[in-house]
Amino acid sequence: MKKISLTLSAFVLPLAISSAAMASSVEQTKGSYVDKFRQLDEALPTPNVYRSAAGEPGENYWQQRVNYDIDVKLDEKKRRITGSQSIEYKNNSPHTLKYLWLQLDQNIFKSDSIAETTKTFKSTLNSLPAQKPAKLSLGELRRQQFMSDNELGYTISGVKDDNGKELRVTVVDTLMRIDLNEPLKPGKEAEFSMNFAFNIVEEDAVGARSGYEHFEEDGNDIFLLAQWFPRLAAYTDYEAWTNKPFLGSGEFTLEFGDYDVEITVPADHIVSATGKLDNASKVLTRTQRNRLEKAETSKRPVFIVTEEEALENEKEGTDKTKTWHFKAENVRDFAWASSRKFMWDAKGYQQGGDVQPLVMAMSFFPKEGGDLWKKYSTEAVVHTMEVYSKYSFDYPYPVAQSVNGPVGGMEYPMITFNGPRTKLQDDGTRTYSQAEKRFLLGVVIHEVGHIYFPMIVNSDERQWTWMDEGLNSFLDGVAGREWDPTIPWGVEPRDIVSYMKSENQVPVMTQSDSVLRLGPNAYTKPAAALNILREVILGRDLFDFAFKEYAQRWKYKRPTPADFFRTMEEASGVDLDWFWRGWFYTTDHVDISLDKVYQLRLDTKNPDIDYSRLRDIEADKPTSLFVERNRAEGKKTWVEKNTDVTDFYDENDRFTVTNKERNSYNKFLKGLEPWERKTLDRALEEDKNYYVMEFSNLGGLVMPILLELTYEDGTTEERYIPAEIWRRNYKNVQKLIVTDKNKPLVSVTVDPRWETADVDVENNNYPRRIIPSRIEVFKKEKSKAKVSRDIMQDIKTELKTDEKKDEKDDGEEQQ
Amino acid sequence: MRFLLVIVCLLVAAPSMAHQLKSSVTTVLFNKRTSNIELMHRFYLHDTEHAVGKLFEGKVDIISNKVDQQRFAKYVESHVALKTLSGETLKLNSVGAQVDGKFFWVYQEAAIPKGIKGIKMSNGALRDLWPSQVNMVNVEGKGKIKTLNFSQDDTWLEARFEQN
Repeated sequence: MKKISLTLSAFVLPLAISSAAMASSVEQTKGSYVDKFRQLDEALPTPNVYRSAAGEPGENYWQQRVNYDIDVKLDEKKRRITGSQSIEYKNNSPHTLKYLWLQLDQNIFKSDSIAETTKTFKSTLNSLPAQKPAKLSLGELRRQQFMSDNELGYTISGVKDDNGKELRVTVVDTLMRIDLNEPLKPGKEAEFSMNFAFNIVEEDAVGARSGYEHFEEDGNDIFLLAQWFPRLAAYTDYEAWTNKPFLGSGEFTLEFGDYDVEITVPADHIVSATGKLDNASKVLTRTQRNRLEKAETSKRPVFIVTEEEALENEKEGTDKTKTWHFKAENVRDFAWASSRKFMWDAKGYQQGGDVQPLVMAMSFFPKEGGDLWKKYSTEAVVHTMEVYSKYSFDYPYPVAQSVNGPVGGMEYPMITFNGPRTKLQDDGTRTYSQAEKRFLLGVVIHEVGHIYFPMIVNSDERQWTWMDEGLNSFLDGVAGREWDPTIPWGVEPRDIVSYMKSENQVPVMTQSDSVLRLGPNAYTKPAAALNILREVILGRDLFDFAFKEYAQRWKYKRPTPADFFRTMEEASGVDLDWFWRGWFYTTDHVDISLDKVYQLRLDTKNPDIDYSRLRDIEADKPTSLFVERNRAEGKKTWVEKNTDVTDFYDENDRFTVTNKERNSYNKFLKGLEPWERKTLDRALEEDKNYYVMEFSNLGGLVMPILLELTYEDGTTEERYIPAEIWRRNYKNVQKLIVTDKNKPLVSVTVDPRWETADVDVENNNYPRRIIPSRIEVFKKEKSKAKVSRDIMQDIKTELKTDEKKDEKDDGEEQQ
Repeated sequence: MRFLLVIVCLLVAAPSMAHQLKSSVTTVLFNKRTSNIELMHRFYLHDTEHAVGKLFEGKVDIISNKVDQQRFAKYVESHVALKTLSGETLKLNSVGAQVDGKFFWVYQEAAIPKGIKGIKMSNGALRDLWPSQVNMVNVEGKGKIKTLNFSQDDTWLEARFEQN
């Protein structure tokens, strides 16, 4: 009981603070006005010569450049990396730098790292003699054991400048400062070198973005190496050095540069890496090189290392080594993978154009990947490039790769790590489920999509997860639907409804490590928001134009949220500040209610018409029950019994028109200006239907009102009321809707196609109709459809493997 | 100094795969029309697919085999419980389960007790398999939505209604 109140107050507090901070400009202390349309300029950073008000790189935009020359060795037995690197740092900033900061991401695994020491334990604890045990998972214990058995984090030595003079270093958690012997002036370059080493973590034990995976049955490992060398922290115009430590969630903020990397691994390993292989003749056989050449123009992927060769390879190890040499230009990071278990397939993607006419799409996977990988991985890599390029720019690198290992899904320039696997069955075959197939397609598209965002459009992941995950989840949905629209790809507005109405959230514009639930916050909500922006608010033409403009403006550059917001608005020509404010800066949700619909009838002013209408209205009223019952009892009224006594008012009711009214009508007509007369005549002739609709905004998020009008003749019409209708009163608005004489309304629905993430559809209809809950629908359909099943017979059905599954099997649920 | 002694029970958990979403959303709806508390549990199909592989022996197919769907629904039902604020158990009846798009749904219901001012709930579905499983519950139909978030070691959480 105590616990929940504690949890709640913890949530309430940050929200209260943020809304109090907003109160200054958006909410006032007088009245109830809330300025949902307040322009964002004052919240966004002031435009300057580096970043313009249009959201473009400014006239003096700059970013640093860092080139790496690395030699690295994988010690397979010790599972240890040792390397040396020399770094060229080009200071393009207008500032003189006395020191440089580097990211030591491996230090996150040190027992005294901020990430490790601030891990929290959450449990309802009851001291003895209470009977209820607390819980500790074996996975957590495995992690702790691994971390105490292995010395983790970087060992760094020999940090020297290009004259061989030692450089002073200071390590601060996951960052390291190098004090330069000479201050680095604007436009100048500094060169320095260092040695580094660390023990690789076991991915399954620790849970990281890289590591090794051990296969008990054949004794081999897959090594995925990322965040594996000390990398320069970003130095930017908006934040100077990025000093936020690596806490595990906020990923990386890096500089572009060229890489020359020599990787020494056991001679029987196959290596996949960021960049183009520079010494194929030394590490590949002639056969393999021929196959690669054949793959360039092949319709389907060609095996460079076949399954048989990989199986042969994994039978025995070797003490010999080989050095693979990769070169990569203009990338912000470098990752690689190595294993003797890998088979390798490739297919040339003939992109055309000037940038990179041929891209080699390639996949590396062990036998555990099976047919799932053989059939779909490389094809999905190609598909991603085909679709993403339409919405951004040509894929600019020579290779795009998908590697299977212990990491569920992670992206680096030119290379991605993807987790889906097949399952070994007792009969020796490998099968996979439909969901695993969807997962492979989804994750490959998503991770390869990340090569565009944020590997090329280099957003600051440490601060803003949504900038790459949200944009990329939106685009992977676009690419997914172009692969197979029958697969449910997610990021539909309806997918985010349960999250948005929950109490358990923070605004999208929250730094990554502080976000409460990263999945819905940084992936689904921004992706659904962009979907809505494209399909509902801007339309595809405006959205696609603006989005492409953003991608092209910031290709190989470093955009901030403000640059995205400004570009989308400036290029589409539509004020979107209200949209960014509502969806990205608040926890408001969408709930628009259609409370009432009033019908209005135009007075003709002509008593001969109006009075008879009034008479009709009176006649339409239900008769008094009193009178009706009297009649039923056979009671005769005095009037009925005395028909011989009548007067004028028995013939003329109170709606009788006299010349007095007619004269005053004629006087009214004469008093009208010509334009008034014309307008009245036309309105009377057209005799349209006038309706006033009352809407209230219960969720707080202002959104356009999407109306579906249903007429008496059964036809429907859609109307779109832009969000600006809420600008003077975000809580309640009335709207006059006029329809033709022959189009009287029978009902109105708000957002009939569930396009706006409205959390309560029950109040979207007028007149109200009963919206059954899922359970009510389910029960109804069950009683309709399921009774005819012969379960006694069906239960004897033999289980089929998924691959051979008859599609009709699950048809029943989707009817 | 003496520390309070706490019994610790070990969760036998398979190493988690990073790709699964490991989250479920449950709507607990106080449905005035049916006079029932309706529990609608929504799981990612892909999560459930991996879960049944661990929970049940042999080949399991949750997408198309009704028997496996029912087995999984039974598993979920055995991990969800509802009580009144004073601790009386509310009996949950199973309604069924279905696949809908990328989700797997499990339905349960209980009659709405008179004068109920709040609920206590336990939702341990999949949390015995994966410590990182997060089950979010929105309690609806009783004024402002209340959210219960089952993560790490939460066993019983409660929602109090502001109105009746």
